[in-house]
Amino acid sequence: MSFKDAIWWIFKAVVAQRTRSALSILGIAIGIFSVVILNSLGEGVRQFVLKEFTQFGTRIIAITPGKTETFGLGSLLATKRPLSLADAQDLKRLAFVEAVIPVTFGSGQVKSGRLSRYTNIAGVAAGMDKAWAMTLASGSFLPDDNWKNPRPYVVLGHKIKHELFAQGKAEGEWLHVGGRRFRIIGVTAPKGQFLGLDLDDIIFIPAQLGLQLFNRNSLMEVDIFYREGTSSKAISQQVHRRLMARHGNEDFTIMTQDDMLAVLDRILLILKYAAGGLGVISLLVGCVGIITILFITVRERTQEIGLLRALGMSHQTLWWLFVSESALLSLLGGSCGILAGGFVVVVVGFWVPLEWQWFEIGIALSIAVIIGVLAGLWPATQAAKLNPVLALRQNP
Amino acid sequence: MRTLDLIRFSFNTLLRHRLRTFLVAFSVAIGVTSVCLLTALGEGARRYVVTEFSSLGSHLLIVMSGRTETTGGMPPIYGTTPRDLTVEDSSRLHRVAGIKNIAPVIAGTSLIENSSSSISRSREVIVLGSTPAIFPIRGLTLGQGRQLPAMANTKATPLAVLGSKLKHELFGSQAAVGQWIRVDGRKFRVEGVLAERGQSLGLDLRDMVIIPVQSASQLFNTQALFRILIELDQYASEDKIKLDIIKLISEHHQGHNDITILSQDSILSSLNEVLSLLTVSVGMISAISLLVAGVLIMNISLITVSQHREEIGLLKALGASSNTIMALFVSQALWVAAMGAMFGVFLAYFILYVAGLLFPDFPIQAPIWAAPAAVSVAMSCGLIFSWWPSKQAALLAPVIALRG
Repeated sequence: MSFKDAIWWIFKAVVAQRTRSALSILGIAIGIFSVVILNSLGEGVRQFVLKEFTQFGTRIIAITPGKTETFGLGSLLATKRPLSLADAQDLKRLAFVEAVIPVTFGSGQVKSGRLSRYTNIAGVAAGMDKAWAMTLASGSFLPDDNWKNPRPYVVLGHKIKHELFAQGKAEGEWLHVGGRRFRIIGVTAPKGQFLGLDLDDIIFIPAQLGLQLFNRNSLMEVDIFYREGTSSKAISQQVHRRLMARHGNEDFTIMTQDDMLAVLDRILLILKYAAGGLGVISLLVGCVGIITILFITVRERTQEIGLLRALGMSHQTLWWLFVSESALLSLLGGSCGILAGGFVVVVVGFWVPLEWQWFEIGIALSIAVIIGVLAGLWPATQAAKLNPVLALRQNP
Repeated sequence: MRTLDLIRFSFNTLLRHRLRTFLVAFSVAIGVTSVCLLTALGEGARRYVVTEFSSLGSHLLIVMSGRTETTGGMPPIYGTTPRDLTVEDSSRLHRVAGIKNIAPVIAGTSLIENSSSSISRSREVIVLGSTPAIFPIRGLTLGQGRQLPAMANTKATPLAVLGSKLKHELFGSQAAVGQWIRVDGRKFRVEGVLAERGQSLGLDLRDMVIIPVQSASQLFNTQALFRILIELDQYASEDKIKLDIIKLISEHHQGHNDITILSQDSILSSLNEVLSLLTVSVGMISAISLLVAGVLIMNISLITVSQHREEIGLLKALGASSNTIMALFVSQALWVAAMGAMFGVFLAYFILYVAGLLFPDFPIQAPIWAAPAAVSVAMSCGLIFSWWPSKQAALLAPVIALRG
């Protein structure tokens, strides 16, 4: 049998039983479709989350008081050995450090005129705008004052400004925070939420004043932004050495953005492949469908097979014909599923984070073909084993 | 045709095509099993969280200082404010009716050393300053020794209760009760050791030390409480008590309401909601495989109809109505779906049983609705997908069908 004839034979076999083939293809298509959609969804979520985390740039190191054994609660807990403003100031002198932002968080009542509101209060320092990629709607950020003795300036989050001043101008007005007056010098542009913290419902004051306001001696976190040309490992070693020299023992935790992202990415990748894996179940059922249909086909075409064998066709050729038919069915199914999935990704992708993934789609298609071949093995072997004489004699 | 005959007839037809029946039933079984197993995983996670929470004692309120007015966001968990919650605040709350236990908590980290043995061992752990009330509230039991003294909220005494893991790290297998430890240089006597207990919501209580709240206040040089934990009476109204607490606290905070009260029930119910939603969506995704099985049922029904044209013709010629023919083919599909579904449920529960034996700690269990839902989806698939092929069979003209 020539190659061309074989192709023609398989094609005829698929087309002759149109409904049947279409339904087998549909089964595989649904399976591949769900793999494609779930995988795209997983990847979309992954990229969305990673983007959330890298919006502040990737060259960040965060230092918190307390050791890692405290489950990251370190910054919330009281401590005997604080991470002080002086520590943060000292870290500024390290090589490659671009900015050091001391951070203290809290909440409290802020007042302006007759209006008041409970809101988040962040104690920070100049450079915060660049470090956290914040932009201003108007005014300016905190000036680069002496950290020990800063001027009482405050920058309002977008929502707070709106609540207290509506459409009016906020710059130059006084804001009362915990019995102290701050001069408003700027308003941030809307930024949205980060990890549940509303970055618009917040005010920024100098870190030292924040510590005084909350009556604390320890910063919650020190963020270090370093320049290009060094590695996160090298810089965290430097920080480690300097803080060890200052504190005498390791009572702080250094976390690099790379470490955090690596952990996060691992979790998200597992989620993504688990989602794709769920779709594979449908593919498995589709595979059983192909096996079933091929068995019926072999039974129906027993006479034909007997004739072919009597005319001298070998076991192998016959075997190959059936396996190829099965592979063709699932290839068609896979292609339909990918087309439908692609359509949905393009249309729905406007609203939901879906990411088209050529590599995974390729894998899905190959899985479909492999499943097709596997599904064909058993029926094809049955067909090849048929005794030509008995097969010819059989009534359909 | 009597119903019994109908059932027997379709069953016999299935028996004649054993292999194909088996394969179709198998595909349905895969779908049903995966629905049951995956929802069981989700349900297991939900149960795990629920039991973790309820082991903390039910009816718990958590008071923290600080408040933000925009609702829907994260509560101010960092708890730093210009006006702190103090031990006095927590003592005042005893006046609120319907409260069973109140435990003020100061939390910090500190270096703990075993100062009494010749080998000096030290460890950085979380120090909880509290009162004896924290034991019933967090469901802690003592393995050895005594609790904190009852005066813990008024008097600083150098006494400590160790978590079991911390005890092991500091003292090994030696007796710890009555020995001295150093917490950041200050001497404390070990009064008791907590009974062995697993993690509680990510917080490893085995690796902690509990000291009187006033001692913690001195140690960390702070008045600020990290949290106040409140256990309510069984029949107390949560909403009323919340209002009472806010009223009482703001009276002593110059009329300002600057605290946030979380109730454990509300945290639990929102977690519960999320996990239930997850379970349902995972179940629905795996139900897609039942759809694929349905397509297969349709395919097989079509083939069966085309193979039995002559028989259909004969039946119709003998007076069988279209409805009877339809019922014949639909009941065949339902038979297969039912067999597959039963087998799938059986397989799922078997796997769950084995998993339960292998991992006794994780409460993996299929939700009650999973098996009925999966079976009814499978049966509906059988019904819906065999409808059109059966209709084709019923519509066959007897003469043409007989002619073959």
